[in-house]
Amino acid sequence: MTVSHPVRGTTDVGPAASGGGAVGSHPVRRRHRRRLTGSSFTGSSFTPWLFLAPAVLIFVVFKYLPMIEGIRLSLYQVRPFLGDLWVGFDNYARIMGDERFRDAIGHTLVLAFGQTIGSMVIGFALALLLEGHAKSLWFVRSAVFLPVVAATAVIGEIWRLLLFPAPEGFVNTVLSVVGLGPWTFLDSPDTSLASVMFVGVWKGAPYDMVLILAGLAGIDRQQYEASALDGATTWQRIRHVTLPALRPVITILLTLASIRGLRVFTEVYVLTGGGPAGSTDVWMTRVFTVAFERNEIGVASAGSVMLFLITFALTVVVQLYRRRKEAG
Amino acid sequence: MPRSRSATAAVALAAVGAVLVGCGSSATSTGGGSAAGVAQDPNAPFEVWTRSTEATAKVYEKIFKEFEAKTGVEVDYKPIFADFDKQIQQRAAAKDLPDLVVTDTGSLGVFTSQGLVGEIDKAGIAGGGDVVERAWNNGRASDGKYYAIPFSTQAMVTLIRRDWREKVGKPVPKTWDELTDLATAFTKDDPDGNGAADTYGMLVPGTTDRGYLGWWASSFVWQGGGDILKQDGDRFSVAVDSDETVKSVDYLKKMFCGDPKLVQPGALTTGTNDAHAFFETGKTGIYVTGPYMFGRFDKNLGKDKYEVVAAPKGPAGDTVLGEGENIYLMAGSPRADAQKKLAEYLISAEAQQAGMKGDPTPVVRLPVNSEVDVKAVYDDPRWETTAKVYADSARPFSSVPNFQPFRQQFSETLNSLFSTCSNDSKAELGKLAENLKKELQTQGMAK
Repeated sequence: MTVSHPVRGTTDVGPAASGGGAVGSHPVRRRHRRRLTGSSFTGSSFTPWLFLAPAVLIFVVFKYLPMIEGIRLSLYQVRPFLGDLWVGFDNYARIMGDERFRDAIGHTLVLAFGQTIGSMVIGFALALLLEGHAKSLWFVRSAVFLPVVAATAVIGEIWRLLLFPAPEGFVNTVLSVVGLGPWTFLDSPDTSLASVMFVGVWKGAPYDMVLILAGLAGIDRQQYEASALDGATTWQRIRHVTLPALRPVITILLTLASIRGLRVFTEVYVLTGGGPAGSTDVWMTRVFTVAFERNEIGVASAGSVMLFLITFALTVVVQLYRRRKEAG
Repeated sequence: MPRSRSATAAVALAAVGAVLVGCGSSATSTGGGSAAGVAQDPNAPFEVWTRSTEATAKVYEKIFKEFEAKTGVEVDYKPIFADFDKQIQQRAAAKDLPDLVVTDTGSLGVFTSQGLVGEIDKAGIAGGGDVVERAWNNGRASDGKYYAIPFSTQAMVTLIRRDWREKVGKPVPKTWDELTDLATAFTKDDPDGNGAADTYGMLVPGTTDRGYLGWWASSFVWQGGGDILKQDGDRFSVAVDSDETVKSVDYLKKMFCGDPKLVQPGALTTGTNDAHAFFETGKTGIYVTGPYMFGRFDKNLGKDKYEVVAAPKGPAGDTVLGEGENIYLMAGSPRADAQKKLAEYLISAEAQQAGMKGDPTPVVRLPVNSEVDVKAVYDDPRWETTAKVYADSARPFSSVPNFQPFRQQFSETLNSLFSTCSNDSKAELGKLAENLKKELQTQGMAK
């Protein structure tokens, strides 16, 4: 997300402002033209920057400079007290050659895919169930939304307790009522990734629900009525009216979720620390281990830079796709 | 629009380039600075870190207060409760280390290989002559020079729930077989008498975090005659795939994969902080650990409920891990004189005794100062057992420049073996051996 800022700052303002009305569109266009003719910062073109300055300064100090420093570190063997050694792209070769890192990439993809789809399906179901204006629904929606606002680390610790892998563990006790379990959950390499995914869906679905609810509210009621008059069943209405109308929301959700999925860290770190047997190691936990347990900051930076490039590429692709859609 | 976009992109690129160049030049001007020749500033805060729990932090606080009263040197004390090594790495990356830290002897390799500590002039440390030679070895790196000052030593002992053991009618285990036998009884025979199968034999902090599983398993591997590395003159060879190591690992694997499983649920992701709770709340009955927690267990479990014994003998003896804590004088400090003063105070008989008397948890386990009498200070047979184990059977990890990567990889392989219950330990350990050989070569210690 941070990546797209430099682009957005100058280009996205155009469409956004023009969308707001004719008044907004003119100054923007004029500003572009003036810069093209080569005139310097004077008068009215300086004022917006003044207003932007505090935010820009914070972004530069806390985002862009650290990012650039990260890129620099990825090219060195980092030894703060002995002097850094230039190694070029060696760090990248080493992290790509690391079998555990490649495994971690695989887990990340599986986890991102599973959590994205799981959250969306359950979020969609929740949204359909909880759509409406009744007071009670408002209350239930707030309750369902709670996992999103709770701190991830807290959620991780609590689920760690709930998923205790012995028969006396909470979830296993509940399962035993219906004759299932005890399951190993986070304790076995066969079930650990699925358990992490479950917690991720539990936390992510309500967020998707809220966005989908917003999308549902924008659907013209008449379309439902018309299709009902034509004799469409509930399923047909969902399939041919609701889903097509939700396409923009789903695109945004997919983008956000895939980027969030790639960067997943806190819940995995708290739930399993990447274990057992590295079965839940993901991109960022591996980078963290390499940096602060193996003490190879340079190699870890290389891993982070790669993740940055991929999220950057993903964002650009989605942006281009959306722009072409809007244009066409 | 497209043209303006490319123009802004060019501007942005130029800006990024400018910053890159700026970063590069500043890095080269400050990079490569060594610890020596740091400008001294008597007004700079004197920052001291210890790897602590809240209980031990209070003990340190008392010691440092005494030190302040004696010398007038003010200590800016920061106990670190979690992720000590990670925080050190973060501060190292920022080139702003604390001035003095007290932490595991195991950090010596990382600190020396990264240049975070400088050489210590052993003869120049006042009171250094009172420190027993064996403790000094904890501060000696593979090049034979000293980079840290010892503060405390200890050996791994075996804690057993005495009341459980008496209930299931078993003797104090003297051999590996008896140990497994007792652990099986603790798991199957409902030693707490609550009618539910909710007790376990062995308590294992089996996470790969910091290489804990390797820490725990090393004593067993030595008792079985195996090893991770084997010293060969002043060089080392890999012993992690030897028949003895494989046999020891298989013995341990049975605890994780046998029927019944003898370890607590979730063992392979349990860290030490979580592990203690399993023992004191009556979930598991046998805990192979250092003597850190006697005070806490006395309070939360009861002194009469558990016993402290030497490790049961394996096929090759009863060797256990003996390590401790060191005082590290960190590089780049503007308070070199204060570093030395505090270190000298911490090894004095007075500070060592104060550290041992910490309630409920001592920060000095076995004193490094030969003037301090364990028996007189503790007056506790459990500490005498610990002292005896340390004297007779304890050994440290191999003294390669940096043992940490070996322990880390060893614990990752064990973690994987114990969780998949693979039948081919030999092959897995063989794969590990190849990687360890590479690491030995990187560190320049391969035979």
